[in-house]
Amino acid sequence: MSFKDHDKKNFIADVARDFAARRISKRDFMKKMALAGVGFSAFSAGLLGGQRGFRGNLGLIGTEAMAQDASVTQWLKDVGSPFKGTKIRYTSEATPPTVVLDKIKKEFTDPTGIEVEVEIVPLEQVLAKATQDVQGQLGTYDLYYLDQSWVATFAQDTIDPTQYYKDKPDLAMPGFDWDDFSKPLVEGLAMYDGKMVGIPFDIPIFMLMYRKDILEKHGIAVPTTEEEFTAAIQKITEAEKANGMYGTGLQAKSGHYSLNCDWTQMVWNAGGSIFGADKKFKGNDEAGVAGLALYQEWVKNAPPESLNSTWDGQFQMMAAGQCALVQSWDEFFPGLDAADSKVQGLWMPAKPLNGKALRAKSEVGFGEVPNRAHQGGSVLGLSKYSKNVDAAWLFMQWACSKDVMTRCTLIGGFAPMRLSSFTDPRVNEKAVVGPGTTRHLELVKWIIDNDMASEPDMPLWAGFSNNEIPVNLGKLLTGQDFGGDPKKCMDTIAAAIDAAVTEAGL
Amino acid sequence: MPADSASHSPVEARATERRPWLPRWLSSEHPFPWLFPAAALMVVFGIYPLVYAITLSLYKRNAATRKMIFDPTHNWTKVLADERVWNAIYNTFVYTGVALFFQLTLGMLIALLLDSDRKGYGVLRAMMTLPLVIPPAVTGMMFLLMLNGSFGVLSRGLIALGIFPTGFSILGTANTAMAGVLTAEIWQWTPFMVLIMLAGLRSLPKEPFEAAAIDGATATQAFFKLTLPMMSKVIAIAVLIRGIDLFRAFDYVKVMTDSGPGTATETLTSYAGRIYFGSADFPYASTIALLTLIIVILASTTFMKIFKVKL
Repeated sequence: MSFKDHDKKNFIADVARDFAARRISKRDFMKKMALAGVGFSAFSAGLLGGQRGFRGNLGLIGTEAMAQDASVTQWLKDVGSPFKGTKIRYTSEATPPTVVLDKIKKEFTDPTGIEVEVEIVPLEQVLAKATQDVQGQLGTYDLYYLDQSWVATFAQDTIDPTQYYKDKPDLAMPGFDWDDFSKPLVEGLAMYDGKMVGIPFDIPIFMLMYRKDILEKHGIAVPTTEEEFTAAIQKITEAEKANGMYGTGLQAKSGHYSLNCDWTQMVWNAGGSIFGADKKFKGNDEAGVAGLALYQEWVKNAPPESLNSTWDGQFQMMAAGQCALVQSWDEFFPGLDAADSKVQGLWMPAKPLNGKALRAKSEVGFGEVPNRAHQGGSVLGLSKYSKNVDAAWLFMQWACSKDVMTRCTLIGGFAPMRLSSFTDPRVNEKAVVGPGTTRHLELVKWIIDNDMASEPDMPLWAGFSNNEIPVNLGKLLTGQDFGGDPKKCMDTIAAAIDAAVTEAGL
Repeated sequence: MPADSASHSPVEARATERRPWLPRWLSSEHPFPWLFPAAALMVVFGIYPLVYAITLSLYKRNAATRKMIFDPTHNWTKVLADERVWNAIYNTFVYTGVALFFQLTLGMLIALLLDSDRKGYGVLRAMMTLPLVIPPAVTGMMFLLMLNGSFGVLSRGLIALGIFPTGFSILGTANTAMAGVLTAEIWQWTPFMVLIMLAGLRSLPKEPFEAAAIDGATATQAFFKLTLPMMSKVIAIAVLIRGIDLFRAFDYVKVMTDSGPGTATETLTSYAGRIYFGSADFPYASTIALLTLIIVILASTTFMKIFKVKL
């Protein structure tokens, strides 16, 4: 199957999700489907619904508060004119900053004359496209969207942005302020082997979310540890299952990266790690197996559809009132408080769950950082092979500037990368229940500063976390293999991963 | 006037006349100029990718260093030792076999029902084509939602009938996921079989059926003794075309289960896709794709020999 064909199929699925989540009108939906070459009946269109993706508030675009500063427009005009007519491309997953940037890129293109093509595709395709690009040093993409787990893989293929800022003073954006970026994000996401691979771009991170009304109804205190959480979800499931509500909701889709995210958090909280200092897989040690066994218990207290759900399905469970306690992505919050949400104001944020003592950094391998909050951050990298490096560099600075990042946070409803965004009056003003809420961000900042974990920095991790680990976990959780024994499952994964690491000579 | 052209009409003479400045091989009576466009397209879009895939399969890629090392046996040894490949082959055959059985049986039954000249049947026949115009990815989305354990209309129906417990996830359970995916496949492609069967049924001569009716044959006897034998070639070609298509199943699996739970619905193409997009191991993904091609060629050749199908 060609990329084009694959893209088309995913485009259709994404458009259907957008329509179902009411992010696009019926007219736009039909128009986009027509673009994809689809001509199907209103009957089938009516059956599409139920899922979500972007949870921000695109309606803010064009409002006075979201207008671009005149000085920025002038700077873009001054430095961008030599590149008029240039086209730059980047490919990315549909993360909130990318979706917002795609919507407001006109603010960059109009003054500079530089066209920006943003290819929004599923995460695994972003990886495959970037891999092909660097393998052949093609320069098809001027910028790379790099998930935190790929930073090590692509470190050699990007230009250090801080160095380029110094090397090209005539193109340097005034007041860019590198110190404004959250330090844990720079160190945890962007740095590899002493080099800044890209600029921090987004930071979805785990936090605890709970239904205040349900916990009050059952006299349950907000859990702070995994033991308390487990007891609480068992109690809620027992009491509310007949009403269609379970204790928790999970993103346990077999073979999907989302399951890997849940699993890593369970391992870390059980005092384990993915790799040891000897670079061997440690998910099958005592702590790793205990973590997975606890997750099996959580699955019993989650809607069965959890086993076929990624983060999208998990959010749906929360929005539909099917669960009461969830440890997952902070990005869900604005969607839960959206104007048309049935649970507006009912979900509350809390610190991530505590577990056993964390494994020391000296005992783990490949730069892994065990902690309480799994993060799925990304960086925007400037391609070394780009044929339009300077034009792409201008876009990159603009996209990661203070003003644009703050506006992206407000429109996209995600945690900011810059410290100034956290204190921006427009962001603070939204810290109330309602569409585009930022009421969870203060806590998110605390989590980033104190509890942020990181998956291993190694070139094979993208493959392991998308294939070997979630596929075998799926076999265990759905009863396809291993007879419910977490140790057998982990041993199988260990054998596959250790062999691949040895073969790659790492 | 040359003697050999005396017998030709002026039009024929113009057709065979060769432009003196053109080489002989480019003359209009030579096949090359007429074959060239199709052959060029075939080379660019068919042969080149195939040769490239074969070449790629002879290399071993190190994900850490990105080096491509020539090692012709590495991927082929790996593919034969890979349990997931064997599981995928099994799943692909199950998927193809079950879908073919239902599509063929239902297709024939519906075609028999629609094989009538009575008023309104034309509209019914036209309506049968509706599922075919929906892209498979969209059909996959529709069934993904309809089979959702919490709110899906099909799931709720089956739960209401007591077949599954409340909240049961058809696509999230290893034993039922394949059936869920096959539902979408069968729904969408049965009409294709209906159309082929209808075309075949409507081209059958009436005389044998009239003779059978005079001899007192029942409808069932007529179907098994006349319709089926006379339709055997049509059925064989329909099975061949659909079988090859089914063997490449990707869309529904990708959208509905992404090969899961575990590897319960992983087919050869979806496994190749996971290796390609997830692990970026292009040579190994190419090897699996080539293996699929080899199996399709072997299976279809065997089928054509057994059923004496000539294309």
